[in-house]
Amino acid sequence: MTAGTTREGHPLHQRRDVLLLVSPVVVYLVIFSLFPLLYSLTISFFRWDQIASTFHFIGLGNYQELFADPVFWQATGNTAVLVLAGVALQLFIGTALAIFFDMQLRGSWFVRGVLILPMLLTPVVVGLMWRAMLNPNWGIINYTLGQLGLPQPLWLADPALALPTLVVVDSWQWTPFIMVIVFARLQSLPRDVFEAAATDGASSRQTLWRITLPLLMPAIVFAGIFRAIDAFRSFDVVYGLTYGGPGRLTTTLSFYGWENGQRFARYGFSSAISYVMVVVAIIMVTLLFRHLAVRREDAT
Amino acid sequence: MTRRRTGRLLAYVLLVVIAVIGFAPFVMIVIYSTKSRIEILQVPPTLDFDLDQIVANYRDVLVTRGFIGFIQNSIIVTAATVAISLTIAVPAAYAFSRLRFRARDRWASTILSFRFMPPVAVAIPVLLMMRFVDLENTFQGLIIPYVAFSLPLTVWILIGFIDEIPRELDDAAMADGCTRLGVLWRVMLPLMRPGLIVAGIFAAIFIWNELLVASYLIQSQGLKTIPLAAGGLISAQRPIDWNVAATVGVVTIIPIFIFSLFTQRYIARGITAGAVK
Repeated sequence: MTAGTTREGHPLHQRRDVLLLVSPVVVYLVIFSLFPLLYSLTISFFRWDQIASTFHFIGLGNYQELFADPVFWQATGNTAVLVLAGVALQLFIGTALAIFFDMQLRGSWFVRGVLILPMLLTPVVVGLMWRAMLNPNWGIINYTLGQLGLPQPLWLADPALALPTLVVVDSWQWTPFIMVIVFARLQSLPRDVFEAAATDGASSRQTLWRITLPLLMPAIVFAGIFRAIDAFRSFDVVYGLTYGGPGRLTTTLSFYGWENGQRFARYGFSSAISYVMVVVAIIMVTLLFRHLAVRREDAT
Repeated sequence: MTRRRTGRLLAYVLLVVIAVIGFAPFVMIVIYSTKSRIEILQVPPTLDFDLDQIVANYRDVLVTRGFIGFIQNSIIVTAATVAISLTIAVPAAYAFSRLRFRARDRWASTILSFRFMPPVAVAIPVLLMMRFVDLENTFQGLIIPYVAFSLPLTVWILIGFIDEIPRELDDAAMADGCTRLGVLWRVMLPLMRPGLIVAGIFAAIFIWNELLVASYLIQSQGLKTIPLAAGGLISAQRPIDWNVAATVGVVTIIPIFIFSLFTQRYIARGITAGAVK
């Protein structure tokens, strides 16, 4: 036995090292993440008096108000659409794009590079950008539609279209995220599986449905859950694109929480909204980790 | 044979369509940013550019509206956050990758789970905490919670990279009488460079774009970061000057654009780090 392994094997040394190395992160997160999270739960049972800068205990008052508040339910519905419809759309197009890029057409690496850009952008600016292009009077999109003889909808003002438009803009920014993950998985698959399928006379459609997609599924599920958790807390793109309107038709839970907290200084009510979100987020994170754990067992 | 050729042609048409959808919005706002308030209303947008107008727009945004300052603020806040996060995260990631201790994976997952908490849920407590220690409306007051936001993913990405460095290197160094910290400092740190870059990039992207928490913590015009200043165009009561908004868009995007030129390969690697193993 070498001196090194003896040292590593020594439980006291080991414990001291772990404490020394890990505690900065743990302490930091306890003070600046866990404590605020618990603090916020406490605040949700209080009413904040902005003028006196004091809290008044009101028990479940904020939650009662919240569950009777039609705007809260509207925001919950909007957020659900953004998460479910949005992520479904992104998964579908993102996977299709990954398979398409796997054809390795000349120049496709460049287009793939370009597609990385949207997800680096400041979401407020993405919202603003699309708001300009969707402008009904001078925006490029309605001009193009007009030239093609197609109808020119009022994208962001039409109550039936505002939320779907938000979904599309969010998907423009985040579909590449799915594409990158699925594409990487596709690249890491063993090629001989596909060659074997080809020699056995499988059609390309059969190969896609029976081999490629099942093999990609873990990556697709991972990307989908990850993206769903992020879409669930969407705030900035709403801020830039619609500011929650028209009316409340694109207000998400994050946006409603922010409005109450930052703009109206209703700290208690805002925290109650946030806490509903925290509970949902915890459920989604648990799902994600369960998926990751299953994956790890697969690998070994 | 001809059928195959048509297929190939269609594939290329599709590739062009994808490129246009991905890239056209950037081209459009560059065009909009060259127009005057009146010209922008013209459809279709003309492609005759007036240098004086372009200079006027960009001077308005960068100098009069102070975006040079906002860019500086964002750089300061982002750089400080990334530096602090990496410093705290490296030792922890090393321990999670190399040392054995009770409930190790559980600790690691718990740390990562904070990455997914909605920022709106901690914004108010963080504001009150910073007010309490008199750091409301300061860079420090913003950097402190930003470090907390970026730590989980930073640790997680670094663990992945350290896992790939062969353990024999540690053992050899320890056999030569190096301590754990010595191994980390002399052996691992130099080998971890790609990991540090990827983790740093991801922290930087998040912080560079962060709006929600900043809107609680920063009130002074002079301390605003880019997303706050860009958002400020909207909350103003009067209608948006779209040529200004587009110019702000371009000014915001250019740093990201330059950044991505240098970091593209790391970005794809970072996104897939957790996914593909």
